[in-house]
Amino acid sequence: MEGINSEIIIVILATGIRLAAPFLLAALGEMFTQRSGVYNLGVEGIMMMGAFVGFFITLIGGSPLLGIAASLVVGALMGLLMAVVSVTFKAEQGISGIGLYMLGWGLSGLLFRLYVGAITTIDGLKPVAIPLLSDIPFLGPILFNQNGLVYSAFLLVPISAFILYKTTWGLNVRAVGTMPEAADTLGVSVQGIRYQCLIVGSMLAGLAGAFLTVGHANMYADNITAGRGFISIALVYFGRWSPWGIMLGALLFSMADSFQSMVQVLGINFPYELAVVLPYVITIFALAISFGRVWGPAALGKPFQRGTRG
Amino acid sequence: MKRVLTVFLTIVMLFAIAGCSNSGTTANTPQKPAESPKAEKIRIALVLPATVDDMAWGQSMVEGLKAVQKSMGEDKVELATSEKLGNAVDAGAAIRQYATQGYDIILAHGSQYQSVLGEIAKDFPKTTFAYGTGFTTGPNIFAYDPQAQEGGYLLGMLAGKMSKSGIVGIVGPVESGDAVKYNYGVQQGVAKAKSDVQTRIAYTGSFNDIVGAGNLAKTHISAGADFLTGSSQQAVGALRAVAETEGKYWLSTDMDQSSLAPNHVLASQVYNWEKVATKIIELRKQGTLGGQRLSLNLADGTIQFKYNEKLADKVPAEVKAAIEQAKQDIVSGKVKVELPKK
Amino acid sequence: MNTQYRNIIKQITILLAALVGALLVGGIFLVLAKSDPVKAYTVMLTGPINDKFGITETLVRSVPLLLVGLGIIISFRSGIINIGAEGQMLAGAIGAAAVATSFSELPSMILMPLVFLAGMASGAFWGGIAGWLKTRLSVNEILSTVMLNQIALQLYLFLIRGPLIDPKEVSYGTGAPQTALIPEGIWLDRLIPGTRLHSGLILALVLAILTYLFLWRTSTGYRLRAVGEGPEAARYAGIKVERYVILAMVMAGGMAGLAGTVEVTGVHHRALEGISAGYGFSGIVAALFGRLHPLGTIPASILFGALLLGADMMQRAVDVPAAMVMAIQGLVVLFVVASDYFLMKPVNGARLKEKWLGKKIVTEGGE
Repeated sequence: MEGINSEIIIVILATGIRLAAPFLLAALGEMFTQRSGVYNLGVEGIMMMGAFVGFFITLIGGSPLLGIAASLVVGALMGLLMAVVSVTFKAEQGISGIGLYMLGWGLSGLLFRLYVGAITTIDGLKPVAIPLLSDIPFLGPILFNQNGLVYSAFLLVPISAFILYKTTWGLNVRAVGTMPEAADTLGVSVQGIRYQCLIVGSMLAGLAGAFLTVGHANMYADNITAGRGFISIALVYFGRWSPWGIMLGALLFSMADSFQSMVQVLGINFPYELAVVLPYVITIFALAISFGRVWGPAALGKPFQRGTRG
Repeated sequence: MKRVLTVFLTIVMLFAIAGCSNSGTTANTPQKPAESPKAEKIRIALVLPATVDDMAWGQSMVEGLKAVQKSMGEDKVELATSEKLGNAVDAGAAIRQYATQGYDIILAHGSQYQSVLGEIAKDFPKTTFAYGTGFTTGPNIFAYDPQAQEGGYLLGMLAGKMSKSGIVGIVGPVESGDAVKYNYGVQQGVAKAKSDVQTRIAYTGSFNDIVGAGNLAKTHISAGADFLTGSSQQAVGALRAVAETEGKYWLSTDMDQSSLAPNHVLASQVYNWEKVATKIIELRKQGTLGGQRLSLNLADGTIQFKYNEKLADKVPAEVKAAIEQAKQDIVSGKVKVELPKK
Repeated sequence: MNTQYRNIIKQITILLAALVGALLVGGIFLVLAKSDPVKAYTVMLTGPINDKFGITETLVRSVPLLLVGLGIIISFRSGIINIGAEGQMLAGAIGAAAVATSFSELPSMILMPLVFLAGMASGAFWGGIAGWLKTRLSVNEILSTVMLNQIALQLYLFLIRGPLIDPKEVSYGTGAPQTALIPEGIWLDRLIPGTRLHSGLILALVLAILTYLFLWRTSTGYRLRAVGEGPEAARYAGIKVERYVILAMVMAGGMAGLAGTVEVTGVHHRALEGISAGYGFSGIVAALFGRLHPLGTIPASILFGALLLGADMMQRAVDVPAAMVMAIQGLVVLFVVASDYFLMKPVNGARLKEKWLGKKIVTEGGE
C-alpha cells in the first residue's frame, strides 16, 4: 500500500464527487416524485433512455449540450408515460415502474442497434476548471475541476431544497404527498401535481443517464446504467426525502466506491468482492446508525380518487 | 365506447386469423431433428450470453462465423443468432429450438451452457453442439478452450518492456474463467519482461459495467499505470477512458479493438473463431460430431497476436524481436505459460 | 346472470384490447426494425402454447415466478415493499448447492430434505436481515433490499468462483464460475420426459395453497395482514409488530430461497452464473398481477412465464435484437396494468370519458 499521498486522496475525493452526480440527479428527481405520492421504480429504464438519447444526439449533432437537452426531453416523455399509467389510470405503481424499466432498457438497446449499430465513441463534456477556485491547493482540483453536469447536480441540491420548502409549488407537492384529500379540498390539483413531479423527476433521471454517456463514459453500450437507477431510488430513502440527506447519501456511496477502486488498484490481498460490496455495506450501516425520525410521504404509493379514501 | 370496442375486436380477430393461418405452417415444421448432416447447406446457430456488438467475446465469434460464411459461400452457410441469453434457462430453450429446427451446428458461446448442452445433446444425436470455455465433451459436443494466457503473456511482455511508469493496470470483470487465465498470462509476461514492473489487478465485479470499468481504468491511470488491459464486454469502457489521456496505451483481447481508439490500442490478442468453426465443420463432414476438446492457441493460429499497424513503429525492433522469440518458445513448448492452481 | 356473463366478456375484451394496444405500439418498433409484425406476434402468442415444448418451457419459468411471487405476497401483505427477492434467490441457490455438493455421499433420502432446508434457510436468512434492519435499526426495506441484492450477487459470484467451484474447472484450467454437479439422486423428477418440466411445479402449487391458507385461515396470517393494513392499529390491538415484520421477511426470503433451490435441483443441477434470471423482479410483477393473492398468482405466473418465453422465441422467429424482446415485454406490462383501471371498476371508463370529452354520462353497471 505504498504511494498513499495527498495526490491519491485528491483522486479519490474528486472521483467520488464526479461519480455522485448521476446518483444525485436521479435521486433528486425521484425525491420530487415520491414527495407527491408516487414511487417510480422505472428510474433505471429512464436513465437508459436518457443515456442513449444523450449519446445519440451528441453523436449526430456534434454537441454534448444538444445531447443533454435531448435527454431531458426523452426523460419528460418517459415521465409522462409513467404519469398516464400510474396517475390517470391509477395502475399499481410497482408494476408500472418495472414495466417502464423493461421498456426503457429494451427501447434504448433497440434504438442503438437500429440507428448506431456498433460501439462508437463520442467527445463528451470536458472538465471546466473554475478560474481562481480551481487553484486552491487540495480543494481546488477536488471541487472545481469537474464537468458542467457535476456542478449542475450539486447546484440542484439547494435549488431543490428551496423549491420544496419555500415555494407554493413545493408546498403543494408536499401536501399532495401527505394529505391528498385535504389538498384537493383546498383546490390543488392532485393529479396535476403528480404529473408535474413525475415529469420533472424523470427529466432528472434522463439527465442522470446522459451524464453516464456524455459526461463520463463517452460511449454507449448495453446496460450502461448497471443498476445505478435502483441505487438512486434507495438513496431517496437514505436521505429521507430531503435534498441534503440525498446528497449525503450519494456522496457517501460514491466516495466509498472510489475509495474501494483505489484500494484495489494499489494492491490488495483479499477477495476483491469485499471491496466491491463496500459502498453497499457502508450505506446500510450509515443509515442504521444514524438517528432521526423516520417518516415518509403518507400517501406514497396510493393512487388518488376524489371522493374515496386510501 | 362501443365503436372503439368494435374496432379493437376486429383487430383481435384479424390477429387471431393471421395467427391460425400461420401457426398451421409453423407447427408442422419442427419436432424433427436434422435428417442428414451431409445436406448441402450447412446451418449454424449461435447462442450468445451478451450482445452481437459487444466488441469482445460475442462479436469476435459473430465476425468469425461471418468470415466462414464468406469463404464458403453465402449459399452454403446459413447463420442464425440469439443474443442476451446469459441465463441458462432461456439459453436452453433457444438451443433446443434451434436443434428442433434442424440446425446442423449449434454454438453455445459461454461456459455457463455446459450443463444445459449435456442435457439437450442427448436428444439430438445428429446435431453437433459446441460450447466454451469448457472441457466436458459428449459424443456430439465439442468444447473449446482459448488459451487466453498465451496471448496475455505476449501482451504482458510488450507492456512490461514499454511501460515508462513501471505500472501495468488490469481492469478485470469477475475473477473467473478466461479473465483469470488472461490476467495470469499478462502478469507472467510483465514479470518476464522486467522484474521491477508491477502488475496491478482490480475487478468491477460485473461483466458489463462499462461505466465502472471506465472508472477503474481512470483510477489505475491516476495511480500511475500507463499500460492497461482487460477482458469481457465491459472492457470497451476502460479502453475509452484510456483513450482520453495522451501516452497511455491499451492492449485488447478477444478481438482487435483498435478501431475504437486507433492512437491508444497498441496490440491485441485475437481469437480466430473462423478457424475453429471451419474445423468443426470439417470434422462434422468427416463424421465426427463431437467428443473433442478444441484448444485455441498460438501454435495453430487460432490465437493471433497483432500489432495495431498505425502504432507499430512505436514499438522498438528489439521489443518486437523479444516478443516474436517468446511466441516461438510458446509454440514450440519451450515456454509454458502457467495457469493458476488452487 | 346475464349481466355477469356480459361483465366477463367485457373484462376479457378489455384485457385483449390492452394486449392489442401494446402489440400495436410494439408493431411500430418491429416495422422500424424491418421485421414482419404478424409473423413475430404469431410466434410470440402461439409459441408458448403451440406444443409440448412451449407449454413445458412456460411452466418451467412459472415455477420460480410463483415461488418468488408467494414470498412477495407475504411481504407486501405485511406492508413491506421487498424488492430483494433476487438476492434471496441467489442465497437459496448457493445454500442448496453448497450442501448438495459438500455432502454428496449422503443417501439422497437424507440429502434431499437437507438441501431444501439449506436453500430455504439461506433465503430466509437473507430476507430476515432486511426485516431485522427495518425493525431494529429503522433501515427502510427498499434501501436495504436493493443493497442486499448487490451484496448477495457478489457473495454468490465469490462462492461459485472460489470455495465452491467445480474442482474439474480448476484441474482443466478453464475456471468457469460454477459448482460441481449435484448428485443425481437429488435431481427433481422430470414430470414429462424429454422436457425440463420438473416436480418443483407441484411443490410451488402446493405452497401457493398453503400460503393462501396461512394468510387467510390462521391467526398468525391474520396478524401479518393486520400489520400490513396499518401497523399503528395493529400495535393498539396488541400485536407485536416488529416480530411480525421480521417473520414476514423471513418467510418471503424462504420462498425466494426455495425458488433458487428448485432452479438448482430441478433445472441446472448446479449453481452457476445468471441463475436468478431476473425472476426476483418478474416475480414481483407476477404477484402484483395476481392481486397479491396466492391463488391469483398461479395464473399470473403462468401468463408471465408465457410472455417471457414467447417474446424470446420471437427473437429467433424474425431475427430481431434481444432488446426488442424486452421492449415489447415492457409495453405489455404497462398496457395490461393500465387496463386494470377498467377491469376493477367499469365505471372508471365513463369517468375518464366525462373528463376528456366533457360530457356527463349516466353510468349504470359501466355501459
